[in-house]
Amino acid sequence: MTNKITKSSTAEYFAKNLQQVGFSSPLKAVLTTLKEAVDNSLDACEMANILPEISVEVKRMGAGSSKNSELVKIVVEDNGPGIDPDDLAKVFGEYLASSKFGRGQCSRGQQGIGISAATTWAQLTNAKGAFVRTKTASMRKALEARIDVDIKSNTGVVRNKETVDWDKKVSGVRVEFIFDGRIQMNGDGGLITYMEGTVLVNPHLTLHYQLLDNDWIHIERVSNQSPEIPGATLPHPHTFKLGEFITHATLFGKTSLDKFLKTGFSRISDQSIKDFVAKGLPKNLLDKSVSVLKEDDFKKVFNAVQNTELMAPSTKSVLTVGEESLSKSITRLGEIDFFSVVARKPTICDFKPVSVEVALARFKNRNLEADEPVQLLRFANRVPLQFDKSGCAITWAIESVNWKNYGLAQPKGSLPIGQYIFAVSVVSPFIKFKNASKETIDASEELVEEIRRALMQAGQKLSRHIKMEFREADLERKLSHIEQFGPILVDSLVRITKSNDARKKRAEEGLKKLLGRDSKDAVEELEEASSRLSQLKARQDKKLGTDSSGVATEISEEETVSEDSLEETVKENSKAAKSKKPTSTKKKK
Amino acid sequence: MAKLLKIRELNLDIPKEAKRLAEMMLTDLEKSKRPVLEAVKTSLDNSFYNAKVGYLTPGDKMVRTELNVSSVQKLARVLFMLELLLKNLETGAINTKRELYYMCKGVIKKGNSRLRPLDFEDQTESDSIIDFIGDMLRVYREELNCFANDRGGQTYSQQLVVTETMPDGDKATIDLSSLGTAPYQPKNRPQALKLRARKKIDFCLIVESEGTANTLQGMGFTKRNNCILMGAQGVPSNAVRGWAKLIEEELSVPMYFFGDLDAYTLQNIFRTLKAGSAASLIRNADFSAPQVRFLGVLPEDVKKYDLNTYRVKESDPVEARALKKAKDALENDPFFLDKKNKGLADILRWLIKEKVRCEQQSFFSVDPDDPIKTEKIILEKIKSGSYI
Repeated sequence: MTNKITKSSTAEYFAKNLQQVGFSSPLKAVLTTLKEAVDNSLDACEMANILPEISVEVKRMGAGSSKNSELVKIVVEDNGPGIDPDDLAKVFGEYLASSKFGRGQCSRGQQGIGISAATTWAQLTNAKGAFVRTKTASMRKALEARIDVDIKSNTGVVRNKETVDWDKKVSGVRVEFIFDGRIQMNGDGGLITYMEGTVLVNPHLTLHYQLLDNDWIHIERVSNQSPEIPGATLPHPHTFKLGEFITHATLFGKTSLDKFLKTGFSRISDQSIKDFVAKGLPKNLLDKSVSVLKEDDFKKVFNAVQNTELMAPSTKSVLTVGEESLSKSITRLGEIDFFSVVARKPTICDFKPVSVEVALARFKNRNLEADEPVQLLRFANRVPLQFDKSGCAITWAIESVNWKNYGLAQPKGSLPIGQYIFAVSVVSPFIKFKNASKETIDASEELVEEIRRALMQAGQKLSRHIKMEFREADLERKLSHIEQFGPILVDSLVRITKSNDARKKRAEEGLKKLLGRDSKDAVEELEEASSRLSQLKARQDKKLGTDSSGVATEISEEETVSEDSLEETVKENSKAAKSKKPTSTKKKK
Repeated sequence: MAKLLKIRELNLDIPKEAKRLAEMMLTDLEKSKRPVLEAVKTSLDNSFYNAKVGYLTPGDKMVRTELNVSSVQKLARVLFMLELLLKNLETGAINTKRELYYMCKGVIKKGNSRLRPLDFEDQTESDSIIDFIGDMLRVYREELNCFANDRGGQTYSQQLVVTETMPDGDKATIDLSSLGTAPYQPKNRPQALKLRARKKIDFCLIVESEGTANTLQGMGFTKRNNCILMGAQGVPSNAVRGWAKLIEEELSVPMYFFGDLDAYTLQNIFRTLKAGSAASLIRNADFSAPQVRFLGVLPEDVKKYDLNTYRVKESDPVEARALKKAKDALENDPFFLDKKNKGLADILRWLIKEKVRCEQQSFFSVDPDDPIKTEKIILEKIKSGSYI
């Protein structure tokens, strides 16, 4: 007897495999739901060129339906363009219905899975999907409805439609999910970490949030510029594998091979086509439709393309937060002692444009432990990554840097120690995640190296401050040594030599003279160093347009590290890293 | 208090020398001149090896500590500890380093509150001060009445008779053949011992693993062979080194060392036994046995007896460090650079190249049915000259 082979819908697949998209535990369910809702709001605002103002509420509603879970309510409201009522079902109830799928843009959402998965999770655990209120600028009243996922057919079902007044709102969306979850406030997977991360990399965001019974927190935007989302980019052919290449071609139907190559990829010109032919692409295939090409033909085309040198992809499609905005934004996380920010120029890693930005900061009042590893905030396309830290390219890069060079303590092959936040953001239209739930960035050697470089530049800036502090502490220690140990030394000498008081007095005076000279030198040295630092501070404040009384010190501008000196450090650090931990993907796996 | 036995004939009156140094420092201070203390630099870059001498000797390099804001703490601590040691010498009291560490704490607690900053946070701090004083005066720690746990290697022999001169002048005679199954384990005072062989002793075998030494003994090694059998307990302590030196000097018997075939054994255990170490430059003369030969495990044994080996994992930090140290040793260690020790350097090179290690116990795999196969191999190797 043979088993009947059935076909299931995309929604069915995801409903059974929600763990693959971030719903593997009640804890992750809360964070993923929140993240998906906020990501959608931010993306929508940016697309419509609206400065986002978002409010978030997270509440406990009682016990959950499953063991060890609680019923959680999450409400996210934005001032975005709103969703057309006709699209509600698609947006919240249908998988892979996305305006962004495979488009090659640096948007937060990519495939159109996330928010539908959140609806499914709410529906599976609490029998109700998403409660949505939407208003576009052209609507007089807002529309409220509940959207469920029809799992069998992968379509959204709109229930209890109702029009309501939402006077004050020009446009926007309010979405509410009630589902089984578990709330964690602090730590890597905590809600607060998520909120802070989101605030940090979105300087243009005004955020209001209330977590459980705590007071509302209001965080104002520090930039009035909505980031310009670079246009979509076509993929570079060298990033493709044979199978992907063939699949990509099927999307083009009856297009000729020549046209497919030129319009389906970036960096392929007429000259490139000639080069392909020279490298073995049969000329007669060029006019044939890709739909009739055989696998063997594709193989020949693919090999010729791979063996031909092409221009590296353009980096124009990459969006950056920018040093200035990041500098301002980081002050929203708490009172800062000092910090250093580096935004690397967009570059190419594994034939994909990528930009890496790093902010390292020491805070005055964040209750970070001095002997604990630094708090790490990871971002991919401006979305905080909060799980599976150890497998992430960002973590590897941090661990491969020798932070001792920059004055931080670091156990071998681990994160450095201290009261710091290390924020690392990787932006690329084609980020390679390890899984669909987008928790970790896959660590390719080139990407890890690029992140390392950014970290080392930031580390070099930071080290100046740390060294200055160390020098101050060292001086203080030495000055106190003179007072403490001088007299003991003389006493011992007098006892051993059985000398009289007169000699003792003379020796004490001699000692005072000697050590006095030393401390005078040290004090002068320190004063000079301190004045250099305050000059630098003043210049930096001027640049940022802030008041010079500001406590925070950014170490930047002329402190900027030249690529030459970085090269040296890279070499040095590479040696250290090699002895510590292999950075190649193969080895790690 | 009972008189202590001298560890060697020392042409230096320690209290007098200490007083001279203190006098010099005080005079300098009176003249507002920076006092300086100097100690022998005990490191590999100040170590010299001459095969005729047989052990590592110190060069001219000195560690100079001049008084300034950075060194005032160290100098105050040196003088504080020196006073304590001088007092011990005066009264004849002895202590271990650990005990001295606590004694310092006691003096500080009971004394003037001004002394508190002198307190040591952990023993490594006080140890380094004691070592500095030893290197400064060029005396052994024992000559400052500071003794380590001075347990020598467990030794078995049917021929060896030891006569020990006690501190009070009495003599004790120990016939090793009369100790039953118990080993003889001398303290770190080799100069108090006189050795005599009741019958000609053919060789002395020092085994890296005390367990394996005990197995050989248990199976009758010293009954069948006129020899001395000793366990080294890993890196040989001063007591083991001094005892091996004494056997070599007094009995003039061939000395063999049997241990693992790996970089650590060769550099840290065998080299220390044969030529001393860079850290103990000033005492190598009395604490090394230059005639001892490396019996194995040799690279040729691995092939000949088809011994089991292990890959050296470069991902393991300890093993990676040992390999790196071996490479350094070939470049910088005067012992391995000397052409007389080319055979040993060749083994290091072989280890670096092959990236394997072989344990001494692997001889037990050769013929598991024969309980004394390892003994047979050892004797065969001695007879055929299979050693370096």
